[in-house]
Amino acid sequence: MVRNAWQRWLDRRLPRARQVRLDQRRIFILPTGYGYLYLLVSVLLFFGGINYENNLILGLCFLMIGLFVVAILHTYRNLSGLILRAGGGRSGFVGGQGSVEVVLIARRRGHRALWLRWLDQAAQEASVEGGEELGVWLNLPLTRRGALRPPRLRVESRYPLGLLRAWSLVALDQVCLAWPRPQESSDCPARGGDRERRAAPTGQNGSEEFRGLRGYVPGDALTQVDWKGFARGRGLNVKLFEEPASGRLWLRYDLLEGLPLEQRLSILCYWVLRLSDENRPFALTLPGAGLAPGRGGEQRQRALDLLARHGEGD
Amino acid sequence: MARIYQVPSHARGWLTLAIIATSLPQLIDGPWWQSLLLLLVLGWRALVDRQRLLLPGRVVRLALLLATVVATWQSFGRLHGPEAGTALITGLFALKYLELVGKRDAYVLIVLGYFVCATILLFHQGPLAALYVIGCLVLLTASLAGINYSDTHARGRQHLGVAAVMVLQALPLAAILFVLVPRVAPLWNMHLDSGQARTGMSDSMSPGQVSRLTESAELAFRVQFDGPAPPPSQRYWRGLTYGYFDGTTWRQARPPGWDERDTLYDGRGPAPDWYRALRNADQGPAWRYRVIMAPSQQRWLYALAVPFTDLDGLALARDLRLVADAPVTGSLGYRVRSVPAAGAGATLDGAERTLMLGLPEQGNERARALAADWRRRYTDDRALVNAALGYFREQPFFYTLEPPPVAGDTVDRFLFDTRRGFCEHYASSFTFLMRAAGIPARVVAGYQGGESNGDYLQVRQYDAHAWSEVWLAGRWVRVDPTGAVAPDRIELGLRQAMRNRSADQGDGEGAAFGRLPVLFQLQQWADYVDFNWQKWVLGYRQEEQRDLLERLLGAVTPTRIALALLGAVLLVTSLLALLVLNRRRDQPARPLEREFRRLRQALGKRGLGLPEAVSAAGLEAAVARRWPAATAAAGHWRRYFEHLAYREDGDPPRAERLQLARRRRALIRALRG
Repeated sequence: MVRNAWQRWLDRRLPRARQVRLDQRRIFILPTGYGYLYLLVSVLLFFGGINYENNLILGLCFLMIGLFVVAILHTYRNLSGLILRAGGGRSGFVGGQGSVEVVLIARRRGHRALWLRWLDQAAQEASVEGGEELGVWLNLPLTRRGALRPPRLRVESRYPLGLLRAWSLVALDQVCLAWPRPQESSDCPARGGDRERRAAPTGQNGSEEFRGLRGYVPGDALTQVDWKGFARGRGLNVKLFEEPASGRLWLRYDLLEGLPLEQRLSILCYWVLRLSDENRPFALTLPGAGLAPGRGGEQRQRALDLLARHGEGD
Repeated sequence: MARIYQVPSHARGWLTLAIIATSLPQLIDGPWWQSLLLLLVLGWRALVDRQRLLLPGRVVRLALLLATVVATWQSFGRLHGPEAGTALITGLFALKYLELVGKRDAYVLIVLGYFVCATILLFHQGPLAALYVIGCLVLLTASLAGINYSDTHARGRQHLGVAAVMVLQALPLAAILFVLVPRVAPLWNMHLDSGQARTGMSDSMSPGQVSRLTESAELAFRVQFDGPAPPPSQRYWRGLTYGYFDGTTWRQARPPGWDERDTLYDGRGPAPDWYRALRNADQGPAWRYRVIMAPSQQRWLYALAVPFTDLDGLALARDLRLVADAPVTGSLGYRVRSVPAAGAGATLDGAERTLMLGLPEQGNERARALAADWRRRYTDDRALVNAALGYFREQPFFYTLEPPPVAGDTVDRFLFDTRRGFCEHYASSFTFLMRAAGIPARVVAGYQGGESNGDYLQVRQYDAHAWSEVWLAGRWVRVDPTGAVAPDRIELGLRQAMRNRSADQGDGEGAAFGRLPVLFQLQQWADYVDFNWQKWVLGYRQEEQRDLLERLLGAVTPTRIALALLGAVLLVTSLLALLVLNRRRDQPARPLEREFRRLRQALGKRGLGLPEAVSAAGLEAAVARRWPAATAAAGHWRRYFEHLAYREDGDPPRAERLQLARRRRALIRALRG
């Protein structure tokens, strides 16, 4: 109840944004444990000064209290004006870790000894001097499939004296994709050209048949270039292969009938990874979405993202 | 697993320096083993940091702790009390440094440091000590700033800058709190009982032994009169009376069977008869003044005859002097109203009269014979006193600070043989003669005179003096036999008297008191600072606070004080916030940016407003449109600016920046032409 009210209040006060500049609306400040100890010492010195009728000890006590008040201003200042911008993200499998980048931007003044953390993770410490930018990657445990919004990031600083901590809870508008956790399965949910359900045995890369050469076009994969011919002065050409009938697979969601949705996606994920490892071309068909045949890292990435985002549209 | 936050290396230097600086006063004042301990710890740490040695284990640390406790016990005989406590806490401070590993240890160390700073102020209270402690606080704060900035790129120097700025900003707040936070009476009684006797008045007097205190220029107390001060010959600061003489030594005494309640009234309980009698005689002119005592470690205070006070923390004694409730260990200020005429209210009967006439059974027979002779010749006491003073004036008595030591019948030997002495000898023998002649008399010890400095008097140890009081016509009358022999001593003070004497005689006796004029002036000036420090800082107590706040706020009520405190703190904090959070101040602007801004502002002043984001070329074009004559100069400046701005190797060196500034000034000049 209370927690929800707190979250709602936070969401109203500090809404999600691509970029956040910390100001008095967003910064909270309270003494640290050491700050309370420091105040206790000042109080003890006050009683000492009173009892010994020693005005200088009282003066020391007052100076310490004055320093505490000044420390409030300086601690606040250290955080105020800091800009946080949502940076890139690195996806991962469910159960593993993804990470997102937070870019710290200092305009005119430096911001020192900042602690960035969310959830229960150990804090990352960073300092940015005036006019600098610094990207900090923060890990995010991936607990469920899909596009995850990172929780509120706690930006905290105790600089300069450690008597107070100023903090803000920043919600950056960025996502981290969680791919399905791959689940091994011997049956490939695919339809190849020859309707074969089994995957071709893990053949060598040479299982494809050489078809011919064509002229190099910028953008062609360098691994496909006929380097030997180039060395013999035949110009820059690309080798073309005939894809074997058994090699071109259509991974299909609807072939995994009777299994729960997440498990289907996990199996598809496994095959996406496996086929990519074998550098075999594949296509992917999901309800309402699909991916044209292709191969390589790019294809793998797209397939995984498609699996991750499945079901999010509705 | 809890992560141990290490103390960054750039903070270690400040921490070490803070430890050395805060411990230093105690190393100087305290027992020798404290320096040894700190040296041991610092050496050990240095070796650990070079990986030559391991940090000590628990056993070694425990042994060192025990050794510190035992050594404290050895040095002071106890573990409590300010001096032993200071030694102990300074020892702990050093030991804590030895086991410093993580940030948490550093925090503990710094907290101990604040206490060590406070102990410095227990024993040193001058303006310099205060400055020193502020310096220590800056170092401790720099250490804090260091341990809270774990970035390895941080440099040690910046911590000191941060700390100095923060302490400086905290000072106005501290001043407000100092003035406005209500002073309350001590919650329980504590005083610094150092056990060391200091030079000063002693509670007995043995003429014949040369007293050292007359040569010391140490300050005894200061007096500030409301209105003009009495002339030097009237400045008899009474401190003690000696009523009992055993043949060699004069001592304080009470009549047998009396206790402190019969002779002291501290304002609590019903006033005794003698106090009421004095109060009834409280009329006629009065001196009003404020005395600030230097620490004397004694209870007696100094004031002119028949001192009345508000009896707050001090008491009036039956022999017309003031006594503090506790030994004066720090500087103590008190206000007095002295009414000379109130002496008429004094009484002397019974046991007290017997005491004031008492002499040893035998001894000093020649003096007794002389007194008996005077008694036969003069029936009037006053005439007898004058005869005695005449005797001192006419016989070849000689005032000197270095009398020959005498033993045995000291009064006889002085009166008839040596005839050389200073105030104690004269007061002692005169009082003896009076008692022998049947006139109640006592010796008074205190100070006489005082040197004027600004609007107050300084009374120094060499102004210490002793004189007599005799009971004439129902009251105590001051008689100073020294004045009969050396009137200069009373009129001019000891220093001047000695200076005259040495000028007359050409001997070096007064050399100790002669001072170079420049040094003297400097010393007077330093004393003036010290006086105001004592008065406004150290002596700022309940009463002074009430007076000041009454002047500032009109009336002193808790609400007003609270409001004033709140208002002043908020005001200063807001001003500080403006200063600290001002964004214009924390531009890390490049030299070139500053140069550009200066030119933009200069053009703005001459009526050419330019947007903040203007480029150098845009600026040049705008200038050329407005002041065609300055086109060449503007182009000149722009080309050089761009040359410097687009070079690859960072900020341009100073010489080139100056060159750019010259071109800027040339451009401004061209605008006029």
